[in-house]
Amino acid sequence: MLEFEAAYRKPGNTLLGQLFGVDPFDFWVGRFYVGLFGVIAAIAIVLGVGILFIAVGQYGDWDLVRAVVPAPSREYGLGYAPFLQGGAWQLVVIFATVSFVAWALREVEICKKLEMGYHIPAMYSLAISAWVVLQIIRPVLMGCWCEGFDLSYSGHLTWVSNVGFRYMNFYLNPFHAYAIVGFFLTAMVLAMHGSAILGTYHTDKDPNVEMLREDNFWRDYIGYSIGEYGIHRLGFYLAFYTLIMSDLCILTSGTLVTDWVKFWHPL
Amino acid sequence: MATILSGAPPRVEPIEPFEPDALDEADILGVRLGSPFRIELLRDLKVDTQFGSIWIGLWGLLSILLFVAGGFVLFLAALDQVGGNVLEAVKYFANLQELPPDGLGVAHSLREGGFWELNLLFWAGSVLAWAARCWDRLRRHKWRPYLLYSFLAAIALTSAIWVWHPLLMGSWADAPALGLNADLDWAQNFSVLWGNFYYNPWHQLAIFFLFGSTMLWGMHGATILATGSEGSHHEDSEIIDMHSGSHKSMLFWRWTMGFNANPKTIHDWLWWFGTGTVLASVIGILTTGTITNDWYVWGVDHGTVAQYGPMTRSAINQHPMEMPAIVSQTGEYIPAPAR
Repeated sequence: MLEFEAAYRKPGNTLLGQLFGVDPFDFWVGRFYVGLFGVIAAIAIVLGVGILFIAVGQYGDWDLVRAVVPAPSREYGLGYAPFLQGGAWQLVVIFATVSFVAWALREVEICKKLEMGYHIPAMYSLAISAWVVLQIIRPVLMGCWCEGFDLSYSGHLTWVSNVGFRYMNFYLNPFHAYAIVGFFLTAMVLAMHGSAILGTYHTDKDPNVEMLREDNFWRDYIGYSIGEYGIHRLGFYLAFYTLIMSDLCILTSGTLVTDWVKFWHPL
Repeated sequence: MATILSGAPPRVEPIEPFEPDALDEADILGVRLGSPFRIELLRDLKVDTQFGSIWIGLWGLLSILLFVAGGFVLFLAALDQVGGNVLEAVKYFANLQELPPDGLGVAHSLREGGFWELNLLFWAGSVLAWAARCWDRLRRHKWRPYLLYSFLAAIALTSAIWVWHPLLMGSWADAPALGLNADLDWAQNFSVLWGNFYYNPWHQLAIFFLFGSTMLWGMHGATILATGSEGSHHEDSEIIDMHSGSHKSMLFWRWTMGFNANPKTIHDWLWWFGTGTVLASVIGILTTGTITNDWYVWGVDHGTVAQYGPMTRSAINQHPMEMPAIVSQTGEYIPAPAR
């Protein structure tokens, strides 16, 4: 426990507690808060990872860089597939999605417990949306679970490479370009913010002088200082923008547009 | 919801221009341009409203002049490609480009790479002058030079792409042409030419850092916004003396994933992820064409490629840019003759 932690470990203010007046899961295990959604997430994680490894064992290649749990082949469409022909993939996707959503709700409960804003679960939900778009929404729109990516380190690289070529040239997908701009910008602004804090902390006894140093530097250097609160707004918005563009980039490929080169030259 | 997401308001401080110090006085072009002004609209976005004044300085002016000169060369090259018609240049701006010359020497003419060389020289000078300006301003405001190190890492990546890799390959033509579509095409072709960049382990590491940067901004930005009403955004003072906002920020992650940083160490993570993205990319570019000419083959050799179905080793080894494999009528594979 951190030295100030005990004061914050208060029972109550959970979903079950508010509904039924009693919450049997309202406790901590070591550093982790459990809660109803922690239990759901833990079960889903154990089942999902268990099925993943059973499938890997059945396929017989225990090199985890190469091992592949493939998506169902095209013949199964949106239906069930036998375990080794994509059924394992379907089960893992279901349990993974359940565990992601339970994890997000668990974050909401921790936010409630600490009486802070819900920005983190909101942003995490957006990250989950990328998984849901890739593995569920787009395959459903395309009418086949085979559109999802294989669960594998090496295999998902192959999938990304193939999707790029399948729609001719993914660099000409405007949402892909906007997303890349967002990714690069987050990296740049992240390094700038990290530099500002690492560059100025403990340089003066008065933190207000340090803060003024940051502001004055940025005003000298680029003519504008966004401020100690504003920089976190900017980072939050940039991550938000990047995730939305990433969702759009894959959601439109194959559904609305099948050839990003022709997209720019309709005739 | 609106109140929950609003957080702390931005500071409203009187605009107080600071006095020039000895380092400012020493610069022959040491002026702060314009008087500070506010754009009140930005208050609604919860960011600071003050603009200016901006430091000019010798390095700043040099950097701006070289940047404009490079842009002027680009403009001339674009005009040249459409026969001097400005309207056409605007219409086709995405497709207009400056191509690098073949070989490593000085281009024979402007059209055969001269534009590209001139433009690159001007912009390289501009970026280096900006780095000098960065160093100068960091010294003036008594920062530790983290920002300069990050900026130099970014310069290392651009110079690896435009200078060092072409030098290693022996031709400027290996560098990207300058232009919007030219840039996208280079990225696509570079991957295909070197046998699929997704199997380049340094490219994988760079993407890990790049996506990690976005994730860390989502995490850090959201954490500070969620606890900003309790002052967690005063990061310099929180490093000296922590209050409830930082306590909650740390406990949230500790309870969620069993690990937490603190107001100082989170910025170590941020700096290394942002900078690591470009550092990994530098290695990815410089190893390409030098330690391997085909990252797919490299992946097969090092057991990192999942192969779907049977495939012969010699067929994989056949580099697409070299002579095509000869397959006889009976399906027997005959290796291409050595060159």
